Amino acid sequence: MNLLLRGAVIATVLHITPAVVLVKRPDAVQALLPGADTYLARDVHLSDPDAHRLHELVDWSPEDGVLTFYSGKADTTGVGALTFVRVDTPHGPIEVAVGFTPQGAVRGVIVTKATVEMKPWVLEAVGAGLVERYRALKPGDVPAGAAALVGHVGNLAAYIAGEVDKGVARGLAAYGTFYAVRNVGA
Amino acid sequence: MLYDLGRADLRIKWLVTCLLATLGVSYVFGALMVSLYAGFTPERVAATYAGREMSMPMPPETTMVMEHAMSMADFAKPEVHEVDTNLLIQDTHVHVPMYGVIAAALSLVVAGLSLSQGWALALITLLFSAPWLDFAGMWLTKFVSARFAAVTLIGGWAMGVGYLAVTALAIHQMWLRTRGVDR
Repeated sequence: MNLLLRGAVIATVLHITPAVVLVKRPDAVQALLPGADTYLARDVHLSDPDAHRLHELVDWSPEDGVLTFYSGKADTTGVGALTFVRVDTPHGPIEVAVGFTPQGAVRGVIVTKATVEMKPWVLEAVGAGLVERYRALKPGDVPAGAAALVGHVGNLAAYIAGEVDKGVARGLAAYGTFYAVRNVGA
Repeated sequence: MLYDLGRADLRIKWLVTCLLATLGVSYVFGALMVSLYAGFTPERVAATYAGREMSMPMPPETTMVMEHAMSMADFAKPEVHEVDTNLLIQDTHVHVPMYGVIAAALSLVVAGLSLSQGWALALITLLFSAPWLDFAGMWLTKFVSARFAAVTLIGGWAMGVGYLAVTALAIHQMWLRTRGVDR
């Protein structure tokens, strides 16, 4: 019986709460591709060697081996691209939208999904200016939003900032390796 | 029999009733959550666990790019909740222990019911095999065929049937059956 009770406690503590949408995708797209009126989705199906290369860079493989980028144009002028990246944490997944300018720098980062449990941590980190730390980063740069927040937010908000850092690092690596090289200026 | 819920102390009957009521509430909200994130049809369960229809069964020899136009309406379409391998590993790790604890708790109730040994063993087997079917269906849907989504549905319904059977029998034997029973 003692074993049963311990099992119940462990399972309850580890139980992952459902994901909630913090920012709807259309709103994230409008914020990260401002002024765009036409959009293109690009699915990059990675070969094994390319998937391995990405894994070596950021310790991550995309879902089903597919990276998806969305680009936007205003009339015929490219306004940039964005990708949605999921980060699995012990508390469940979060989703981070990373938007890029046509010059290949980060225009903005939006945390679009989190679990019910993590939502207040995300809101605290974002409220403390987390996403501003990523602006203008370029592929090859290392996101350090969590380090900047330490001492200014609670431990859990700082923890979740580290998870957002991972999402941005993945977005930067994916964009720099598999999008920007084909699309200078897109 | 030493352990007989029909003749048990009032406090034990009340404990079991509260346990069944609490599990019942969690099952109702579990069903609501399934309807929100996966659905009750084989097609929706397959979409949740098998992944994107356009996904290639094997990685291509060289990286391939496919493009298609998107409208803002496409971004606004309800997203299919997809569970990839990493998330399924996490879900299995988190849920299976709790399902085991629930099946064990309901089996302890079964052990206190006046049932033939065969029926009791069948109910206990149902209580434990239902979550196994549920998760086996998810893994088979992901790695073998989308047709195994039906196994997950069978497992889910079997969990509900097992709970209802135990609850109905326990409530009947503890509170409604009067002949030869001290309340």
